[in-house]
Order: sequence, then C-alpha cells, then structure tokens
Amino acid sequence: MAEPDAVRTFEDGLAQIRATFEQALRAAEDEPQLRLINARYVGPQGELTALLKLMPKLPGNRRRELGQAANALKQGIQQAFDETLDRIHRSARDAELTGPHLDLTLPGRWQMPGRLHPITRIRNDVLDIFVSMGFDVADGPEVELYENCFDKLGFPPDHPATDEHDTFFVDGDRPSDAPTVLLRTQTSTIQIREMMKRKPPLAIVSPGAVYRRDDDATHSPMFFQLEGFLVDQDVSFAELKGVLTLFLRRLFDEHVALRFRASYFPFVEPGGEVDMSCVFCRAWEQDRARTAACRVCKGTGWMEILGCGMIHPVVFENVGYDPEKYTGFAFGMGLDRIAMLKYGIPNIKLLYENDVRFLSQF
Amino acid sequence: MLASFRWLQELCPVDADVAEVARRISLAGLEVEAMERKGHDLSGVVIAEIRAKKPHPKRDDLTLVRVFDGENEHDVVCGASNVPDPGGRVLFARSGAVLPGGMQIAPRKVGGVESSGMICSEEELGIGADGEGIFVLDEDHRALPGTNAADALDLRDVILDISLTPNRPDCLGHVGIAREIGVLFGMPYSPRKAAGPRRAFLPEGAFRPGQPTTRLAPLWDSESDMVDSPKLPAISVEIVDGDRCPRYGAALVSGVEVGPSPFWLRYRLHNLGLRALSNVVDATNLILLEWGHPIHGFDLDRLRGSKVVVRLADEGEKTATLDGIERTFTSDDLLICDGEGPVAVAGVMGGLFSEIRDDTKHVLIECAYFDPRSIRRTSRRLGLHTDSSHRFERGVDPEAIPQVLASAASLIAELGGGAVAADAIDCVARAHRPASIRLRPERAARLLGTPVSKEESMRILESLGCRIVEHDGETIEAQTPSWRPDLTREVDLIEEVARVRGYDQIPTAMPRAHVSEAGTPGLLKLVDELRDAAVACGLYEAINYGFLSVEDLRRARVGADAVMLANPLSEERAVMRTSLLPGLTGAASRAQRHGATEVRLFEIARTFQPTGDVLPHEQTVLAINLAGHRPGWIGAEQAFDLYDGKGVIEAIIDRVFGRKPELVSGDLPSFMHPKRSGVVTLASEGVGFVGEIHPEVSDDLELIGRVIYAELDVPALHALSEKLGPPQARDLPKFPAVTRDIAMLVRDAFTAGEIADALQAASNGLAESVRLFDLYRGDQIPEGHRSLAFRVTYRDTSGTLTDKQVDKVHGSLAKVARDRFEATIR
Repeated sequence: MAEPDAVRTFEDGLAQIRATFEQALRAAEDEPQLRLINARYVGPQGELTALLKLMPKLPGNRRRELGQAANALKQGIQQAFDETLDRIHRSARDAELTGPHLDLTLPGRWQMPGRLHPITRIRNDVLDIFVSMGFDVADGPEVELYENCFDKLGFPPDHPATDEHDTFFVDGDRPSDAPTVLLRTQTSTIQIREMMKRKPPLAIVSPGAVYRRDDDATHSPMFFQLEGFLVDQDVSFAELKGVLTLFLRRLFDEHVALRFRASYFPFVEPGGEVDMSCVFCRAWEQDRARTAACRVCKGTGWMEILGCGMIHPVVFENVGYDPEKYTGFAFGMGLDRIAMLKYGIPNIKLLYENDVRFLSQF
Repeated sequence: MLASFRWLQELCPVDADVAEVARRISLAGLEVEAMERKGHDLSGVVIAEIRAKKPHPKRDDLTLVRVFDGENEHDVVCGASNVPDPGGRVLFARSGAVLPGGMQIAPRKVGGVESSGMICSEEELGIGADGEGIFVLDEDHRALPGTNAADALDLRDVILDISLTPNRPDCLGHVGIAREIGVLFGMPYSPRKAAGPRRAFLPEGAFRPGQPTTRLAPLWDSESDMVDSPKLPAISVEIVDGDRCPRYGAALVSGVEVGPSPFWLRYRLHNLGLRALSNVVDATNLILLEWGHPIHGFDLDRLRGSKVVVRLADEGEKTATLDGIERTFTSDDLLICDGEGPVAVAGVMGGLFSEIRDDTKHVLIECAYFDPRSIRRTSRRLGLHTDSSHRFERGVDPEAIPQVLASAASLIAELGGGAVAADAIDCVARAHRPASIRLRPERAARLLGTPVSKEESMRILESLGCRIVEHDGETIEAQTPSWRPDLTREVDLIEEVARVRGYDQIPTAMPRAHVSEAGTPGLLKLVDELRDAAVACGLYEAINYGFLSVEDLRRARVGADAVMLANPLSEERAVMRTSLLPGLTGAASRAQRHGATEVRLFEIARTFQPTGDVLPHEQTVLAINLAGHRPGWIGAEQAFDLYDGKGVIEAIIDRVFGRKPELVSGDLPSFMHPKRSGVVTLASEGVGFVGEIHPEVSDDLELIGRVIYAELDVPALHALSEKLGPPQARDLPKFPAVTRDIAMLVRDAFTAGEIADALQAASNGLAESVRLFDLYRGDQIPEGHRSLAFRVTYRDTSGTLTDKQVDKVHGSLAKVARDRFEATIR
C-alpha cells in the first residue's frame, strides 16, 4: 500500500543527501575516513541504503522515477568516492615521493652470509683451471702405506731425500712385517694410486690434506697440497712449461713471468722449481724501486710457487708402465701458500684456528 | 751450505759478479737463498799504532792509550787487558764510525777521562767470535796506520747461503761449487794442487809392513825438504767391514804444535758459521769446507796399539763422543777403533778419548769413504746430525781421498809446524767403479721438447767430468765422475744436459688435447655441492687438523678406538679423529670465549675408523655446528634450537637433491640429546642426525647454551643420489586451488607430523598440502596440550573444486582430528 508520506520522506532524503554528499566525501583526508563517510551514505546502515529500503512503500506511479533518481545519486556518490580515493592515493604517493627519506642505515634483512674457507676458495680456483684443461680430479687416503708415499715414488731407502718429509707414523700393534703406515706427507701418493688403477693417457689433479712433523711460525703440521700429473706418449718438458705457465697466468695475472730452476725431487727428473714474478710488487712492471722494497719477494722480483718435473722412469717401472713408451710430467704446490699470497694472510696458523672473525673475511 | 764468494773466486776465477754467479747457479739447481756481504761496512775503522799507554787514574780495569791513526794521535780509554806495547798495531774505530752492531762511535768520558774513538775486538767488528780482548795485528803484518781495516785484513767477502738438494753432495764443499760454476760459465775447472809442506819425511817404519800406501808428493805443487823419519810406532789400518767402509786413507803429520789459528783462517771459518778452536781442528774444518769431505784428526799418542780398525759395533758397545755424551751402539753401527776399543763413530763424530788436545804432537788424519746408508742409520739412531754425517750420508767422493789427505796434511803442517809423511795409508776394500751410462740425444730431445745434438751433449757431459767411453750416431756412452753419485741412469744425464743449458732454453708448448674418460668422481662433486649449499645456508667453513687428543675423544664421547700416531708432536695431537665433533665444537667454544654471539660453522672432512685391515676406513662427513642466537632483524634475539639445525639440513639436502629429508626418532650417538635430536632420513634411509648436543657433553666441551650439532654421511648421500636419480618434471596445475584452515587443541602426545599426515590421508586425494602455520601454548590452553593450526590446500587435478566439495572434505578432516587425535576443533 502506497504511503504519500513515503514519497515526501524519500524526496527529502534524496535532496538532503544530494546537498551534502559531495562536500562530505571530498573533504575526507585519508582512505579510512573516506570509507567511513561513504558508509554513512551507501553502507548497510547508510542513509541512501535506508531510503532504498523504502522503495516498496512508494506509490507505483512514482517508484520508477524516484528509483532512477536514487540510482543516479548512488552513482554520483560512487564517482565522488572514486575521485576522492584517487586523490588521496595520489597525494599519499606524492607525499612519499617528495617527503622524508627512509633510514637507509637500518640493517638489511635476509642477512645470512656464509663463507668458504680460503683454502677451499683457492682449491676451487685452481681446480677450475685444470679441469678446464681436461684434467680429472682424484682423491686418496690420508693414512697411507709407506711404500706409496716413498718407495714407489723412487725415494731411495735410508736417503736424506726423506729429511724434507718429517713423517708421522701410525702406531701399530700389527705384525712387524706388515707395511709401515703413515700420514701422507705429500699428495704425490695419488700418482701412484691412480697410475696403478688406470692406464695412460692420464691427466689428473688431486688436492688434499698432508701431514709433516713441523710446527713453527711458518709451518703447520697439517696443510694442503695439490698434485697434478699428465702421462701419455711423447709428453715433454716443453709441455710442462706450457701448462704451468698458462695455469699461473690464469690464477694470478696474465703478465706474470715464470722462471724454471733445476731442483730435485726423487720422483721427477729433470726436476725443477718454478719461480713466478712477484705479484705484490708486480715485478713485470719493472718498477725497480718498488721491487727493491718488496718484502714478499725480498727484493728479488721472484717468488717460489711450485715444484715440478718429468715423471721419473723409476716411478713408471714401479706402477708397471713402460718408461720407454710413456713419459709424463708432474707438479705440486702448497694451497696454503697460494691462499696466503692471494689473500694476504700473514700467518699460516690462522688457516687452522677457525676463528670466526677470520673465516668471515673471505 | 754457506759458501764464500772470495774462496770460490780463488778456486774458479770467473769474470762475473756475485749476483750473476748466484743467479746462474740458482737456475742450475744450487738455490742461493740469501747473500750476506761481509767486511763492507767498516768504514771509519782503521789500523792504528799504539804510541803510549798508562794506567787509568781512577780505575784499575782501564788503560789510557794514545794511538796514531795515520793522521792524528788520539787518547782512548781501553778496557781490554791485552793492549800491546808502543809500536803494536790495533783496529781503531774513529769518532763517527758505525760498527756492524749499530754502535755509533763518539767522543765520551770514561771514568772521568775523555776518550776519542774505540780500540775494537773481533767480536765488536763482527769479524770473529773473540770478544775477550782487542784485536792485535801480527808483528809481521805490513799494514800502515791509517789503512782501512777491510783492506788491511782483506775482509771483503760475500757469503752465499745455498739451499742444496740432497742429490748434490759434490757441492757440499767449495771445490764442488767452483767446479759447478766453471761448468756453467764455460770455464773448465781444474783442481789445484795443495801447497806442499815445507818438511816431509819418508815414513820408513811408520807404517806396518804390508800396509797399502799412496804417494802424496805428486799431489803437491812444490818440493819439500826431506827430514829424518821421526821415531814412531808402526801404524796399521784394518777394514773389517769393506761394504760399510770401501776405502780408508790416513796421513801422518809429526811434530805439530797445537795453537791458535791465524786470523785469515779464523775469519773464514767465522764467516762460514764455524767456531775457531785450534789450528789442527780448524784445519780439518777448512778442508771439510773446501773439499766437502769430512776428515778426522786422531792424536797418535792416544791411539792404543797404534792401529785403526774399522768394524761394526758389538750390540750394546759404548763409548763417549766428542760432545762428552756416552753413546750405546747396535750391531748396525760402524765404529773406528784402536787396538783396544772405539775411538770414533765412523762418519758421525769422533770419540772423546783420542781427540786432538793442546799437547798433541803427532796427528793421524783420517779420510775415508763410508756407505751412505750405514752412516745415515747410525746418525738418525743416535740423533746426531753433524757436518760429517750430513756429507757421508749423501755420498762423498771416494776417489778424492789422496788429494784431500795431501791438502789436509800440508795445511796442518803449515799451521802447526812439523813434517808430513810423504806416503799415506790407502786401504781400498772395494774399488770405486764408475757408472757407465748410455745417453740417446734423440731421447733427450723428445723428453725435453727441444732439439738436443750429440755434440752439445758430449760437450756438457765432459765439462761435468764425465768420460765419453764411446759414441756412435745415436748414443753416447759416458762414465760418470766419482763425485756425482746421483748420476746412475740415462734420465740423470738428460737432466744434466737440460740443467747446464738452462731450463729457460726449453720452449713452452701445450700438450695434445685430452679428453677425460673418467671425469671427476661423483663423490667429490657431491662434496663440492654440499659445501656450496652449506655456505648458502649462512655457514662458515672450518678446517680442523685431522688429529686431536685422546682426551678430546673422551670428552666428546665419540669412538675411542682410534688410529694412534707413533710419534705425535704432542699429546694434543696424538690420534686421528673419529668424529668431527671435537674439532668443530672446539672452534665454537673458542668463538664463544671471544664473545661471538652467533656461531654457524660447518666442516667437510674425513674421520678415521680403525678396521681389521692395514689402513683405516676414511669416511667423509659433513658436520654442522650452530651456537648462540639465530641471525634475525632488529628485535629480540632467539637462541638456535633443533629446528634451526633441521632447517639447515633440509635446505642443504633440498638444494642438492631436490627433496626434503625427514627427521625421525632413532638411534643417536651418545653425545646427542636423547629427546632433542633426531635421525635424518632421505627416502627412508638414515643419512645423519641433527639436534642439541647432550647437556653433559656440552658442559664437558665448555660450550655455552644449547648448541646444535648435525652430521651427514656423505658416502650414504652419494649412494642415495645414484639410486634416486635426478628430479623429474611434473605437470603444472591446470585448475585453481582452494585453501582452508583448521585449528585444533590436541595433547602433546600427538606430533604435528602425524596429524598432518592423517589429515592429508583423509582428504581423498584432494589435499595437495597440509602445512602447519601456527603453534600456540598459553593462557587458554590446558597443560599438556597445544593449539595447532594447519593450512590445507585443496586441488582437484581434473576440475575446479566447488565450495560444497571443499566443505564436505574439510569436514571429514575435522572428524579425523576429533576421532583419531581427540582434538577440539577451534
């Protein structure tokens, strides 16, 4: 049943809303306020919502007309709302873009730095170079047989060549005729093990921990070596020089010069040591004053970096290769020393103390 | 080996400065590690003549001396007691001079008297060890006052410190180094003869009849006056063990007067690191440094029975060596004995009884060749490394014995007076046979990678002292010189050719390309991947020593059946580790003592487990150690707990294997907390453990707070990775997912994992995941209970789920929670 009062109420309500909404919405200062004001008109308890609930009470002849007016008003409110919201967003963004800076000095999140040990880093660098040249990586036991560490490598019995290798022996309650067991003093043992296992051609590098009974300012009783060797028909000293030159240039600097000096290791002959131009005073730049003052190379411009040579025929004989058929070269280096050179580590002891303050530097 | 450049130049006068000589011999294998200039820094020190001396007015221990330095007279206060009378000459440091020790000479008052300059001792000038009195020149010295001390005493020299490899015993004396320099500079070295003794005698009756002798006279460069043979008992030498002592020579110097050596000799020994003692002993040392051949002087009067016997010791035989220590021998030790007993340990050290003393009159000089291995074993057994054993164990030149004896006898006679027996005993039990080696220049060229001609090879070998026995188109046969025991096979000669030419003459080349058949073993690759994954989790890599102490193992309650070292450096490093726990927690404990608030360490290394075999089992293990609080952003700090350890393990395994491991209860090592640790499984196989360290162990290890430790068995992971294969791709979902949460109150007895599993199982395959997202204990929760909230993600692979479908299945999940776990759904 239509109520004439309803029409009036409806019309007055619409007029009332129409007169105020625009100003009310546009005066909102932020989004929550805007939504609050908006709800006052079109929320579940809103004024316009309340009017719309009166619709059924309107007389049929006015219902359509008034309904359209209410809808138009609702759209008007929506538009004012959207525009105001847009303005608020815009001004907030403008405020952020032109306002004060965030405190950039607060710590970053996701802060979980882990670090490889410097020896591992160097080992990886060195392995990458050799692996890219076609070398395999191999491994062997740290507790070794005397014969693999010395006899098969051509160390003569009772010979001062072993003086460099002050060896830790394993205490055995084993029969006395059993082979003597020791902690390997060099990774050259892997030459023996791999050559006995495989047939040429072979190109292998093997990093690992080795042990010697030296413990002073410049020696650690455990340290890391990397051994490499290549065996094939007609391998020459010239190729040894080629491989090591390429290796050191890639590891340190493309400018380094190498100097091969004769030396002696029982398992290579001709045997040598390699000096590299000092990478601290950058001896290749020929700044003699800087080299003269260089403490690392002691003014010589050279630093000893590795040992090498052509694999001794006695080693081939010991592993069952024909030394007339096969030749090969071998080289070895101290990874500790290279890590110390490369990272400027002053004392070898730091490498094994595992002081977090040290480990976190690499 | 210290070498005097002056001396080398006397032996081989090459036209090159010391730097060039050092460079060349270094490249050829005689590495010069350091060079020290001697006598170059004495400007301001001159010869001065004593003009007057009188006692100091106040102090008895001082003398007032007036000296003339060639220009002026100076009054000097001197504290030495040996100030010579006027006319004597001394070394005088003028005011302004700086002595080698850094002392600056300036006028000063001594005991109230002005002193201008200083009269110096050897020690103060760094030219000798004598600091007792001032240096006084010999009366017959011709230097005039004012002459620079370095000129007057001929002090300038450069001492080379050569690091010799053990294959080059020939260079353990100046003669050998000079020979090497001659080879490298193309100036063939010819050994000089020794200056002959002034007086010699024919040793008629001095040697027992039948004793083999050699004539020394041809080895001298001058004639000697022949004097009457002294009356001496007849001497004999007997080699009992000819394998250990192939050759033994002995020369005789009679009528010697033992006294101090002249300055030039003392100075030379001083610069080469030896202490001057007396002329006879100094002479033997100089000969050692010259020839590299140790000799030994016996006091003939103390040689009982006038005989020398070279034999093996009886087991347990004893004698005192020169250093005053009584030594006990085994039947493997070679002794030099007289008629009654041991007088020297052959090649190692002389005996106390027969040593040269101040009253020695007749000296028997021993020069022998001993089996290097025998000397080395004895030297090591006795812990006696001497200049003598160092050379014998490397191998001296057996053929040089007569020459060395001639030089030694002549030098001793020159220094101590007396006459030399013109014949020396020369017992040869085993004659030296030179090695004969075939060299193929073509083989050398192939090995070196550069052309090598036959002519050049022959020239180099001959310059080294080899004798070319024969040669044809392809081979050279060479006999090696007796001073190069290291040359035994063809490759040794190839090295000589390469070395003398210089390794820098060899070009560089690259080997033929290699294609690796085997590649890097998977286990090594896995180790690298695990290491990278651990670093990505924020861990620092540690590297510990492989050995530790028995106590470390006991404290950590890890396997005590360990590989023991026979000769550890200390008890702290006496056994090989059976676990990484002691090393890693040791680092954590030290870090905590430094005040580190968070410790995140890992190590991948081997443990050593004894087996029935000769070698232990070496097992690669990844160990992780977390202590302190977890890194967070600003705000409250939270201590690491089991779930941090679990998270790290999950992250590492997930990264490497693309799968999540599980943590289950099971057998744990006794050092782990029984209720706060678990076994890590991957595809249902145990691969490690993680959790809190047992509180008692943690206390014993001096760790602060709850410390998390984990280990992964790397070979087990490797075996699994081979079994599991690489991850396989799955279809991406085509239909949307719906998420619903379910929160419940349950008793602690039920684990979150079993509830989640049960919920998933109840979902009829629609629950894609069931994830715990909240855990709460507190005010509203009864004791022994907790509130768990799971987020369930539903997805149907064949179509879009409707709300109704989801409601139904979600309801059945709630029922399972209520029925199976007595849960109150919240």
